[in-house]
Amino acid sequence: MVISGLATGSIYALMALALVIVYNATRALNFAQGEMLMVSAFLAWTAQRAFGLPFWASIVVAIGGAALLGFIVERVIVRRSPTATHWDVLIITLGLSLVLRALAGMVWSHDEFPFPSLFSNRPVVVGPVRLAPVSLGIIGASLSLMLALYVLFTRTRLGRAMRAVAQNPRAARLMGVSVERMSSISWVLAAMVGAVAGVLVAPVVFLSTKMGLIVISGFTAAVLGGFGSMPGAVAGGMLLGVIENLAPLYLPSAIRYAVPFLLLIGILTVRPAGLLGRATTRKV
Amino acid sequence: MRAQLELHDVSVSYGQRRALEDVSLTVGAGEIVALLGANGSGKSTTLRTISGLVRPSRGRIAYEGRDITTWQPDGIVAAGVGHVPEGREIFSEFTVLENLLVGGHTAPAREIPARLQRALAMFPVLRERQRQPAGTLSGGEQQMLAIARALMAAPRVLLLDEPSLGLAPRLAREIFRMIERINAAGVTVLLVEQNARRALAVAARGYVLETGRIVMTGASSALAADPRVRAAYLGG
Repeated sequence: MVISGLATGSIYALMALALVIVYNATRALNFAQGEMLMVSAFLAWTAQRAFGLPFWASIVVAIGGAALLGFIVERVIVRRSPTATHWDVLIITLGLSLVLRALAGMVWSHDEFPFPSLFSNRPVVVGPVRLAPVSLGIIGASLSLMLALYVLFTRTRLGRAMRAVAQNPRAARLMGVSVERMSSISWVLAAMVGAVAGVLVAPVVFLSTKMGLIVISGFTAAVLGGFGSMPGAVAGGMLLGVIENLAPLYLPSAIRYAVPFLLLIGILTVRPAGLLGRATTRKV
Repeated sequence: MRAQLELHDVSVSYGQRRALEDVSLTVGAGEIVALLGANGSGKSTTLRTISGLVRPSRGRIAYEGRDITTWQPDGIVAAGVGHVPEGREIFSEFTVLENLLVGGHTAPAREIPARLQRALAMFPVLRERQRQPAGTLSGGEQQMLAIARALMAAPRVLLLDEPSLGLAPRLAREIFRMIERINAAGVTVLLVEQNARRALAVAARGYVLETGRIVMTGASSALAADPRVRAAYLGG
């Protein structure tokens, strides 16, 4: 149960990371992150079904398609509304999520489709425990991606510049960092992270236009960890996944889908800054 | 002397409010030029306009013969204009080292180690505190970090906005010695200061801003002797 919880949690963590990456660069919440994930998963599926591409190639298509979508959304919608407040961008992305879902419904219908998994169904037996390869695969792939992101953000010039923008955009400009370019790169990167989460989760939850709702769990995970903190997003995602999987053992099973909301309300009342959040009071 | 930075009739408005009105000034290569004025007279706005953070509504800014009026800030930094902003604006969550590395954002990767060593040699206190979060530094150390960070881009012109603000006299003196050393190494300096006496002591020439207009200009010695400057900025 804990392992499958961690697997779900890894997906939430990736979702939360995607939201935090965009938020840190632009101070905006991308409500369409879930629908962008859904579209990427459908692209992978189409690449397999309609064009007969092998699985790995379909993943490349999904990630590439997501990158393009992220780039276009940032360039066409977000960049064009420089005078828009963060609330305006939030509403814009909310609208975008509805548009993407409607368009996906027209192209692919609103049915559910099985999505092939990269991992076999035969359980791995370690002593007395039986582990689902799907769960292990999801955890492994997510952790690798998180490690890659960690290296990007802490060890490279690009990652450092993105973090500098998150802290103080004006000072970053004075260092020669193009805040606009960082915004663009952040949207592309977040969309790519979302696409990976999409192809990992699709075999588990089935492919459908409703998949985008996962953004709510991602948002909860990000808030849980302290919005803006990337390690916090990972911790929050894992925690949320485990709690969601264990809750039905102790509480009525129908509670499962309410868990993110209950946790969200709880966190916001008890510890608004989140687990690893920065203190909001600053020295002047 | 060759003009390295020139402003021609630059006007800036923040909404309805006129912040700069037909400001013209020239900074020659290798000079230290002081920009004096009271709070809100437009000193910081002048520097921000040069850096491209603020767009002028009228006028022209030339740097080394090129018109940079419409350039983006990252292009202006890359061309060699560094800016140490008012209030330092260091990245407080970054370590001292990370701050310096971001300062070298526009530098070629192979030059970073040498520039880092040069910056740390110039400010030994930063070397000791390399791994420390910049937010934990004292005010004087943060100011040194802000200057060292700007030097990482190897600027040919350095804009300094109130570098001694809030510092104890001993630290302020040290900062001004640093400014002279930086200038001696060939960097042109445009210095904005509240402390007119100190600024005129290091600068060759000065301009005086009043409500967004240049009202006086001349050699530092002439400005320091002018009765109006003495009354307004040098405490009589």
